[in-house]
Amino acid sequence: MNIDRSRRRFLQLLPLAAIFASIGGAAFRFLRPKLSAATDAWLDVAPVAELTGPQPISRKIVAEQMSGWATTTEEHNVFVLPAKNNKVVSAICPHEGCEVAWEQNTNRFSCPCHESYFAADGSRISGPARRGLDPLPARVQDGKLQVQYISNQQATRA
Amino acid sequence: MRSDLRVWLQTTTGIVAVLLLVQFLTGVLLAFYYVPSVDHAYTTVSYIEKVVSSGSWIRSLHHYGSQWLTVFVFVHVIRLFWNRAYTANRIQWIVTILLIGLVMAAGGTGYSLPWDARAFFSTRVAEGLMAGLPIAGSMARLWLLGGSEISPVTLSRFFALHVLVIPALIGVIVLWRLFRSRIAEFLGPREAVVGALVFLVLALWALKHPAPLGPSVADAGADYLPRPGAQFLWLYQSLKYIPGGLGSIVGVVLPGIVLAVLIALPWLKRQRLIAGSLFGLGVVLVAMMTTVSYLSDRRDPKTAQQFARQAAAEEAWRREPFKPTTITLAATTSSTPATGGAPVMYTKFCANCHGPHGEGAQQGRLRFPPLLDVSAKPRRSVDDIVGLLKDPTAYGLQPPMRSFSDKLTEEQMREIAEWIVKLKR
Repeated sequence: MNIDRSRRRFLQLLPLAAIFASIGGAAFRFLRPKLSAATDAWLDVAPVAELTGPQPISRKIVAEQMSGWATTTEEHNVFVLPAKNNKVVSAICPHEGCEVAWEQNTNRFSCPCHESYFAADGSRISGPARRGLDPLPARVQDGKLQVQYISNQQATRA
Repeated sequence: MRSDLRVWLQTTTGIVAVLLLVQFLTGVLLAFYYVPSVDHAYTTVSYIEKVVSSGSWIRSLHHYGSQWLTVFVFVHVIRLFWNRAYTANRIQWIVTILLIGLVMAAGGTGYSLPWDARAFFSTRVAEGLMAGLPIAGSMARLWLLGGSEISPVTLSRFFALHVLVIPALIGVIVLWRLFRSRIAEFLGPREAVVGALVFLVLALWALKHPAPLGPSVADAGADYLPRPGAQFLWLYQSLKYIPGGLGSIVGVVLPGIVLAVLIALPWLKRQRLIAGSLFGLGVVLVAMMTTVSYLSDRRDPKTAQQFARQAAAEEAWRREPFKPTTITLAATTSSTPATGGAPVMYTKFCANCHGPHGEGAQQGRLRFPPLLDVSAKPRRSVDDIVGLLKDPTAYGLQPPMRSFSDKLTEEQMREIAEWIVKLKR
């Protein structure tokens, strides 16, 4: 009697179990995030001849990323430091990822979000950031300065 | 034996519940990727079909599930009619009739969402059916479209109705039923067996048959033959025989009157006769029109050939790798515009086809030539390009390239031309 009842209860849950097991299993595969491969393309920053003077120079690079159903091209700010042999640093603050701006009158980079400050060579001065601005891999090709873009998350992990 | 059959026929509640659950679950999953915008809907549905794991199965479950649901809701209502539920439990009868209307509306609005060629035609027909309504026709059409033409706003409306309004109303009905009745009515042992069986067959069917997806609206040739979902074939076929605006009477007004009469049935006299003849006529009409539609599509050799071509094209499309769209995101803090970037008007009018950097593009059969090094070609000086933007045919260009005289001023054309001649590979 008891066995019969429990068997019946099991049977009653059969369609729900079938639906949730099969669609649930498929849902896990369906929703699983697609990791986009890190891009290692060299992106033009500027002709080397234009990069002179003591001040950091703000430039935009256009990085392409394959994410889901779209290829996104996104502009990123970088700073070229002519005084440091054209070293290129990312404008992304290594603290929480806001974008720093160059303040000419105080001669430093400042982050608008949590007041981290960085010197003209990108090194950390003060604030919650634990390190200086992240340098990007750079090279000179045909008279043009080029960099590889590294996203904030990848840089922060490094 | 006879009473045995009767008992099994009582399981329609369970089947409808199972199919509704499948629609809810798969619908929620599809919403994780689908984007209701005319420039991304088709891409995201293609992405679900081609790239996302199990995506084709989930979408097929949703597509065919909606058709099965329509059939079983009707069977369910006829079963309730058989049991004289309209006297025993008036509210249950009424909400079930409402459920028919909601399920049909969900099928109609959902068909537009992939924004493929079929969706586009289906939206056009919905527009026409609304416009042909007596008295309030033009108003109904404007409200459905959200404007005077089918536009991005229209797709958003269909989306909001399909995924928010209609499911919420169906959800209210389902919750009401759950609270009103014993759980055994949905999940009795017989319901369990039949429900599991229906789901199993649907799951296998969906595994074997991916949901159809026509060509994108831009790629559809003039010879493309669209067809509605199976639950609307009767309407599609009927519209062939009915002149002009009378189609709205058959497609919207008559079904509306039938549903209204059925809702009022508990308070009417001669209930068996009225509802019995409505169901009888309805079943005969739907079965006949659906059959005629199937037969005429297969009998006419020209039509059959065109369907074979379309099926082959869809098959070929499924084998092609997925093509992502390009989206340009601005930097978060762009105080100064990038030097050397494209003119704003180029980005607005030209970049869609010729690419954000003039690299050209291929969309189906259409090839949009790259603009890089274009100044090296004959008759492509700044002045020539300005002239070409005014009158492309004079420069030997063919549609879809068109004149921009009505969109751009002389200076804007010159700005674009001066930027284009500097483009180098």
